[in-house]
Amino acid sequence: MSLSTGHMGSKPTASRAPGLVSPVLSPAGRRSLRQGLLAVVLPALVVAIWQMAGKDGSLFGGVLPTPDRAWQAWKIWAFGSTGLSLNPYSGTWLANLLFSAERVGKGFLAAILVAVPVGLAIGWNRIASGALDPTVQLLRPIPITAWLPFSIAVFGIRDMGAVFLIALGAFYPIVVNTAQGARDVERNLIRAAMMMGAGRWTILRRVVLPASLPSIFTGLRIGLGIAWTAVIVAEMVAVKSGLGYVLWDAYYVGRMDVVIADMATIGLLGLLSDRIILGIEGWVLKWRRLQSFHS
Amino acid sequence: MGTIAFDNVSKTFSGQTEVRALEGISLSIDEGEFVALLGPSGCGKSTLLNLLAGFEKITEGILLFDGKTVTRPGPDRGVVFQEAALFPWLNVWQNVIFGPQVQGISRAEYESRARELLKLVGLEAFAEALPVQLSGGMRQRVGIARVLAMSPRALLMDEPFGALDAQTRLSMQQLLLDVWQALNTTVLFVTHDIDEAILLSDRICVMSARPGRIVRTIPIALPRPRSIASLTSPEFVAYKAAIMSDMKVTHVPQT
Repeated sequence: MSLSTGHMGSKPTASRAPGLVSPVLSPAGRRSLRQGLLAVVLPALVVAIWQMAGKDGSLFGGVLPTPDRAWQAWKIWAFGSTGLSLNPYSGTWLANLLFSAERVGKGFLAAILVAVPVGLAIGWNRIASGALDPTVQLLRPIPITAWLPFSIAVFGIRDMGAVFLIALGAFYPIVVNTAQGARDVERNLIRAAMMMGAGRWTILRRVVLPASLPSIFTGLRIGLGIAWTAVIVAEMVAVKSGLGYVLWDAYYVGRMDVVIADMATIGLLGLLSDRIILGIEGWVLKWRRLQSFHS
Repeated sequence: MGTIAFDNVSKTFSGQTEVRALEGISLSIDEGEFVALLGPSGCGKSTLLNLLAGFEKITEGILLFDGKTVTRPGPDRGVVFQEAALFPWLNVWQNVIFGPQVQGISRAEYESRARELLKLVGLEAFAEALPVQLSGGMRQRVGIARVLAMSPRALLMDEPFGALDAQTRLSMQQLLLDVWQALNTTVLFVTHDIDEAILLSDRICVMSARPGRIVRTIPIALPRPRSIASLTSPEFVAYKAAIMSDMKVTHVPQT
């Protein structure tokens, strides 16, 4: 779309409201400003309605705090409070965030290190596919929540249990997408490499891997989403720190304002980490971006 | 170097239903000869080329390249594909040096030759460009340059200009004539375009379908060096008329 609508879309806006948008901005800059403003409208609307629907700082008879209360709770959670405070999480926001992020980082990295080679093997080699794929498909339907008791029994209430669940959850989408990417490599690209004297190992490294990267990145994005789900679930049950632990603990002691602030933190972290993957993808897959319609 | 010998070669594709793609193919090609395989789609001409390239295995008969049985693909037989089949994540330069690189040839050895080849195909200014940024004709020129970078003893070209527009095709044919006249490698060229076959080749093997056979071999004695100007010479037109009547190409619908 953007190929043609760039002009069609921005021209009428410019001529209708020349004073509204700074003339310094290029058409592309104006377009991204517009998209940015559009993105904020719905969340802002929801928060505003939520705020106005509340009475004395809460909704549903005191169950749900209004956004401003959640904001206050976050500020104390993040920066601590001067003087006496009843908030047991005071000043622990960054530490808990880092606990969760570190677990996600470790588990996700472990998942990548195992899933990408296994996926390439399944997609590229018939014997590896026959030996590994059925087992992967057999284990895949078991949700990570079902692995919780197993994980606690084996690893105890320790970091390793959370990292295990995250790695397991992220493993499946990465392995499945990588295998699909490796299976779908254009036959003539393989033939071209063979014709130029490349052996199987070289073809795997220099043709199958780069050709599979678009699918691999799809798997990474899905896997990262699951990793965040897994870390929250694991921390609610299997460890005593992190955003998931605070979330459940705050609920337990009736601090819904902290719960809301925690949920918002998780959402923003998930969004941020997805953007990071997207950024890396855009850089690694420049050739792909140039091919696409939206470039 | 670069001699090709098909001796009574047949190819059957097994599967749900067996397909007899080639039947009793006998064809020898001398060093430096330019042979075109001409025929309608589905006549097995690409299969014949794939056998020689080592992409497919023969079912019966003997297939020799330089006196040795063909078992697998190799850099002695450079293949130019119809859609170029460049690696989209590598730029033009990286595509051209891929062959020498994977064969473990040192940079000092391949670099100057690769630069010369880029110049020969008129793409020195595009060394850093990605395939997606090139036109179809430019991509195919990269496809030719990367094959020549390996100094193959034979070029196997599978309808390399089939997807190009008429004008680009003419300039590519001229380029190929120039390159071949300079290098004199053996060429096996698959095409369904009668003009192209006559213009380029020393000999045309006309094929028919189901099962694919070589039904006629026509030597083309047009003088060398040729250029696309030859397309309008009386000798050229005479060849074309003969081949068209041979292939039963008429403007009257067959009943």
